[in-house]
Amino acid sequence: MADPAPIRTDAAVVENRSEGGANRRLRLQVDGWPGFGPGQFVMLSPGTRTDVPRSDPLLPRPMAVYRAEPAGAGAVVEILYKVSGRGTGLLAEALPGQRVALVGPLGRSFDLPASGERAILVAGGTGIASVYELAARARVNAAVSVLLGARTRQDLMGVEDFDALAVGLRLATEDGSAGERGLVTALLEAALAEGGSARVYVCGPTPMMRRCAEISAAHGRPCVVSLENNMACGFGVCLGCASPLSAGGFALVCRDGPMFDAERVAWEGLP
Amino acid sequence: MNACQAPDTRVDLAGIPLRNPVLTASGTFGYGSEFAPFLDLRRIGGFVAKSLTLKPRFGNPPPRISEAASGMLNAISLENVGVDAFVDEKLPLIPEGVTVIASLFETEIAGYAAVAERLSETPRIAGLEVNASCPHVKSGGIEFGQNPVVLAELVRTVRRATKRPLLVKLSPNVTDIGEMARVCEAEGADGISLINAVQGLEVDPETRRPVLANVLGGLSGPAIRPIALRMVWQASRAVTLPICGIGGIATAADAIKFLLCGATAVQVGTANYLDPTASAAIVAGIEDYLTRHGVARVSDLVGALEIPPARRS
Repeated sequence: MADPAPIRTDAAVVENRSEGGANRRLRLQVDGWPGFGPGQFVMLSPGTRTDVPRSDPLLPRPMAVYRAEPAGAGAVVEILYKVSGRGTGLLAEALPGQRVALVGPLGRSFDLPASGERAILVAGGTGIASVYELAARARVNAAVSVLLGARTRQDLMGVEDFDALAVGLRLATEDGSAGERGLVTALLEAALAEGGSARVYVCGPTPMMRRCAEISAAHGRPCVVSLENNMACGFGVCLGCASPLSAGGFALVCRDGPMFDAERVAWEGLP
Repeated sequence: MNACQAPDTRVDLAGIPLRNPVLTASGTFGYGSEFAPFLDLRRIGGFVAKSLTLKPRFGNPPPRISEAASGMLNAISLENVGVDAFVDEKLPLIPEGVTVIASLFETEIAGYAAVAERLSETPRIAGLEVNASCPHVKSGGIEFGQNPVVLAELVRTVRRATKRPLLVKLSPNVTDIGEMARVCEAEGADGISLINAVQGLEVDPETRRPVLANVLGGLSGPAIRPIALRMVWQASRAVTLPICGIGGIATAADAIKFLLCGATAVQVGTANYLDPTASAAIVAGIEDYLTRHGVARVSDLVGALEIPPARRS
């Protein structure tokens, strides 16, 4: 099914609360929301709307759509984000009732696993926000395992939501404060070592995705990765998010991705 | 002016009739159809498509863009679908009644002429804009628009290659913009567009590396607006050619500043990335301004900057 056409609107903040550590959960009332596919994203202004457009920081931030539920004249769209700089810092100050400019949904959505297929979703850090909807939709007719990793327990976002989905959930933290001590890539290695066919979906830091792609290839399993890159627009015109392909040339993360078959990615050329 | 009568927003830019003076800038509006989900392209004066070369080209490796104070740096380079794919595949997607200006560039002057000839074959294109901010290989990579002799040869050659309205988009990376404007006028251009991005550099002190893979980039956005206004004003005093003002325009107030400084029309650039409806909002804001100020025609604002006598130099 084709992804819905994006809209540009000023969304009203419903809730914007801490999730522990630097992670936050933003809930936005988006009137006219056209729906979205798993893995799609929105561009959010860095902070609330002002009468004169904000010029510093200038660029909107790409954020995965975590999930959405119908509400009012549209939907409440949920975003999980991490405060990591000035833009997200301003976003963290947005109060209920204030408005943030939103463009989306953007990008291509994940292709769902085939009926009866085993899907392993691997996500690290803020990449976790990109796979919740995939887990929720894929579990309907596929066997879904979710492997989440972060530095510490506090950095793991959305664990309770994944728990509620009743998928096979395993955690890894670098300090061992939740789940296995170590990297989430080790969980993938172990899951694939059990044998059987599986389709692997990955979203997280580039080195982690690259390692997951290598592990999947070593086990002969297809792997889809969700890339990240600097972008100014999100809908294919600034050409800032061009990422090199193994076959030569570039693909735009925003328009051609963010999902790519891992073997198409020229990892050494990524920023 | 009759209070009930809507103000006249039409302008003539270098022989291109526009329903209003708000265009969108090359490189910030794709090939037009990318904006179809967000706005009615017939609402704005028109758009300048992404610069075209003879053959399709890939651009620079990433990182290609970086945020800067009130702006952004970009080094996309030559990436485009090529003139044939534009004419055959992109142009048919644009609804009738939308004014399309094609931008072109190459690394050699003969290449510019070939692209101009190809574009002049299609009646759908209202005018051409020569991007003179591209590095000229034979001049050791200096921009065409930085050397008045090279710029003169470029404009002369493209002028011979097309009868369409011809705009030349000037580089701001020069000492005397008036001299470059006069070169364009002398060689038969119908108008000039300015400014293109201002050359810049951003560095990551932690890694001691430039932020962009290309090292240098072009600064755009509100940060360059006062520079652009200054150069439009200087160029308007140097030539009688119509001017299309560009540089950090994000609101109707910004656009009107450019008209007052001598621009006949404006191009909205980086603001399209942040808000794909920005250009349409600027049109509405200009209409509101004209009504509020009792101005009958938007063209009455062109060059209407009032400098108190004591401040005249």
